[in-house]
Amino acid sequence: MSVSFKNICIVISILFTLILFIAISSLFVVPNPHDVIGALKSPEMIYSLKLSVITALIATTGAMFIAIPVGYALSRFSFRGKNIVKSILDLPMAFPELVLGLALLLLFGNTAIGKALEAMGIEVVFTKTGIVVAQFFTGLPYAVRIICSTFNGINPRYELVSRSLGYGEFETFKNVTLPLAKSGIFASAIITFARCVGAFGAVLILAGGSYMKTEILPITLYLNISYGNIGMAISSGIVLIVVSFLAIATFEWFEKGNVYSNCSFKH
Amino acid sequence: MFIQIVHLSIDLENFQLRDINLDCDQGDYVVIIGPTGSGKSVILETLAGFYKPDEGKIILEDKDITNVPPEKRNMSIVYQDYVLFPHMSVYDNIAYGLKKRILDKRLIEKEVKAIASLLKIEHLLHRLPVTLSGGEAQRTAIARALVVKPRLLLMDEPFSALDVKIKEELRHLVKTAIKRYQTTTIHVTHDLDDVWDLATKVVVMREGEILQVGPPEHIFANPVNSFVADFVGTNTLKCKIIDRKNNLTLLETGENIKLYSKDQGMPGKEVIVSIRPEHILVSSEPIFGYALNTFCGMIAKTRVQGQLVWLTLNIEGLSLKAVLTANAYEMLKLDKKTKVFISIKTSDVRITAPKH
Repeated sequence: MSVSFKNICIVISILFTLILFIAISSLFVVPNPHDVIGALKSPEMIYSLKLSVITALIATTGAMFIAIPVGYALSRFSFRGKNIVKSILDLPMAFPELVLGLALLLLFGNTAIGKALEAMGIEVVFTKTGIVVAQFFTGLPYAVRIICSTFNGINPRYELVSRSLGYGEFETFKNVTLPLAKSGIFASAIITFARCVGAFGAVLILAGGSYMKTEILPITLYLNISYGNIGMAISSGIVLIVVSFLAIATFEWFEKGNVYSNCSFKH
Repeated sequence: MFIQIVHLSIDLENFQLRDINLDCDQGDYVVIIGPTGSGKSVILETLAGFYKPDEGKIILEDKDITNVPPEKRNMSIVYQDYVLFPHMSVYDNIAYGLKKRILDKRLIEKEVKAIASLLKIEHLLHRLPVTLSGGEAQRTAIARALVVKPRLLLMDEPFSALDVKIKEELRHLVKTAIKRYQTTTIHVTHDLDDVWDLATKVVVMREGEILQVGPPEHIFANPVNSFVADFVGTNTLKCKIIDRKNNLTLLETGENIKLYSKDQGMPGKEVIVSIRPEHILVSSEPIFGYALNTFCGMIAKTRVQGQLVWLTLNIEGLSLKAVLTANAYEMLKLDKKTKVFISIKTSDVRITAPKH
């Protein structure tokens, strides 16, 4: 009985993967290769790709700087309101991205915070900065999640031993915790980056999807679909998939060295 | 007094320590013993400064250190699962604490090599912890803790994960190293051999409370109640005091066996009597000179443990544990189910507190 159950599970996995694979490969098969190559070389695509990578890199870096202390606090310390902090940080994951965008638009548009930033010369709404901000908020919950579980996986006794040997909290974090969390932080950065590159709804609302100005890859796809320019749309889809694929491949490569990757078809 | 724990109480999510009081002199080797979950490790981690007590004080050399952070206490800790930094070599693990204290790299190297040779790990210095055996890893952890010359060495079941032979070897090494570095040590265990081999002072704990403190011989000879007696391996018998005359107390067990004790007691009272296994004389022939407390019984069970043979004796239904050296056992030509003569000195029949 367990054998047949095992087979059913395997068959479902393979069938589903097959459907997903066909859907993804149709992106590569359906269009005319000449159109795709032409579209990839177009100034719009190059602009969009460049802008996507740069904004996503900045947003990811920012997210990591916040996620590491937040993840550490959530993993190690108990403080008042910890559960509320956790829930609110997780919210954007379940939120429709459009709503997140709208919330950010209101925050940076109409509130004192927005006005203060504007007075300092930082304009968020309908700018490239807005792209970074939208990507940052979309990616941050994922970053915090993965980093928090990474810290959870590190025995606090390593830190206790380090402190008993004379090192303060921050030195211990730097000498012991951070090196042990290295691969988890790396994984977190990859996932966050992939999430930032793919962020669409929040970016569209906060930064506006204007041609060759705040145009990142998902916006290119969206704009060109609306114009009926299928070749361009599919090409940006392909580029997005290649970026995600690279991210996942890096992630898998990293996971190989970790104990918690045990979902294989060995038996 | 070197270190004093005064009325220490702490309430963790699933654990409590209640009103712990403990003194310890410089150079003492304190062994805290008790069943799992009795709060032994929490005492160590509180001493090290990882938990803040809800009440009470920790005083080290007349200074209240209750609120001093762990890095300022100079107390090293050794855990059962070694907790070596996996990203550092054995050398870097040992040198870790020194690097904070000494800048001269050559001096650090000298100190690391000295302790590595003392603990016989100098050939492992370049290795990563993941490649070490349990015994090697624990020697590294002990080296890392001792090399900084801590004021107090805290050991949390350091030998529990090791097999018997390595355990003995390591105990011997630790004894030598601690003597060399003159370190005051508090060692938590549930293994009685640690007490025999290392302790100058024993603390028996149960469920967050200290039940008894004293030198090992004292605890083994005079367990304060039946729990301590059971835990340290003493025979404990529920008895009733029948009579008292000529400075002797006459006791009767539940099996109607009569025992004489030199300890005092009120006739009519129910008490717990403890008899150490090594105080029970076993012979194949009647023993001359022991008029009182001489019985005839059978060996129900034997168990060999290293150089010792543990016997379970049966005297008309009363079960007693006795221990002999393997040699003595051989010479007596005792065998299972043979009739033996059993004698106990009246001074070895100890009356302890009423059963809880």
